[in-house]
Amino acid sequence: MKKSIPEDLWKAFFQGDRLACARLITIAENRKERVPELRDALANRLGRAVRIGITGPPGVGKSTLTSLLALGMADAGHKVGIVAVDPSSPFSGGAFMGDRVRMEGLVGDQRIYMRSLASREGHGGLSPSTPDVADVLEGFGMDRILIETVGVGQAELDVLECTDLVVLVLQPSTGDAIQTMKAGIIEAADLIVVNKADLPGKDVVLNSLRFLFGMGLTKKIRPVPPVMTTSAMQNEGLPELVAELEKLASVLLDSGRHADLRRARMEKEIREAISQCLWTAYDGLTGATKCIQEKARELVEKAESPYPFIRESCSRVRVQALDKEASNGHGA
Amino acid sequence: MAEQPIKVVVGKPGLDGHDRGAKVVARALVEAGMEVVYLGLQQTPEAIVAAALEEDADVIGLSILSGAHMPHFRRVKELMDQQGLGDRLLTGGGIIPTKDQETLSGMGVGKLFGPGDDPQMIVAYIREWVKEHPRA
Repeated sequence: MKKSIPEDLWKAFFQGDRLACARLITIAENRKERVPELRDALANRLGRAVRIGITGPPGVGKSTLTSLLALGMADAGHKVGIVAVDPSSPFSGGAFMGDRVRMEGLVGDQRIYMRSLASREGHGGLSPSTPDVADVLEGFGMDRILIETVGVGQAELDVLECTDLVVLVLQPSTGDAIQTMKAGIIEAADLIVVNKADLPGKDVVLNSLRFLFGMGLTKKIRPVPPVMTTSAMQNEGLPELVAELEKLASVLLDSGRHADLRRARMEKEIREAISQCLWTAYDGLTGATKCIQEKARELVEKAESPYPFIRESCSRVRVQALDKEASNGHGA
Repeated sequence: MAEQPIKVVVGKPGLDGHDRGAKVVARALVEAGMEVVYLGLQQTPEAIVAAALEEDADVIGLSILSGAHMPHFRRVKELMDQQGLGDRLLTGGGIIPTKDQETLSGMGVGKLFGPGDDPQMIVAYIREWVKEHPRA
């Protein structure tokens, strides 16, 4: 059962073999139980890359912009990993991933590695495996990781939890959308891009943004993000955007904020792994899943609060540090 | 553990601009629960194989209606073998005479489909093939 990742796969990966990288990403994506092994092997190679989220509504040009950003960053001397997420069907589980159609300029470019991910059980704009996939890419030597979310609405905020910088992409004629978006992702963006600036209606969007940030409601929490305009089609504004992002990246690295973000993410990872591990052990010892099913049915029938049962269950838990060997039987 | 979805790269090599068939098949695969990376029109064999490699795809599906199926399939298969993707399925469809299908089959290309074939046949074929060829 506990078969490890083959030694020769790691060897090829560390020698820069792209197929080995592809296969390790697949492991990160499909084999959650192997993630600890990935983390162990990659740990000393992580910590320097800047992870940049690219998010925004469907059809604003995120993929096109992402590929142009990647090329710009590669020209500036970086190695760039791209993780592009497209939605999985809630019905079939399948996914149609079209990002590569917009990224033809990257074909054959060895400075860049691009991977499409289906969002699977993720409902916040990313696939749950996104951070692990980014780890593999960083371990492969990429120092800029662009993470493109599915087309989002207002509050798909997963991207905040696994990136260092967030770029929000908008387009002209979304003036009304600005109003509805202002309580969500828009407050979290480190940089806002109004793409397709060749289309009419650019000024309406820019004015709405000025209005929003001018009110200073968000200013108290975070600095007002720079707003840039681009036209991926006319190839306008791209060098400026790359330069601005690189400026933000160096502020991030120099100010210590990058390290703070890494630490916060590591804390969260540890908390989640421990609670998952404790739950698995608890469930294995007590058969809690089945017990909860029965209890829930009973409580719903009787229209009773679940809290007496919860308190009783918790009062019986005693945490004891177990030898690793002894806890292995639960397949954590 | 739930079975992982099959990943398929779908592309059209060469200059033929008829992508309706590729889209219909791609959509059928998605509805069958597969993860499809759609590359679109006018791809080179090199670009298709490079994408399949980065995506670690189980299957490459080519759609060719231009009559240029022989060189394209041959070249894609050659690149797959060179780049360590010889253990993945190369399949596809288009206007491909039976005689050519046989020749391609002899080169290690999988089953090919044509007009009138039910997309469900393709779904079933891919599922069966992946089941019979588990990857390490």
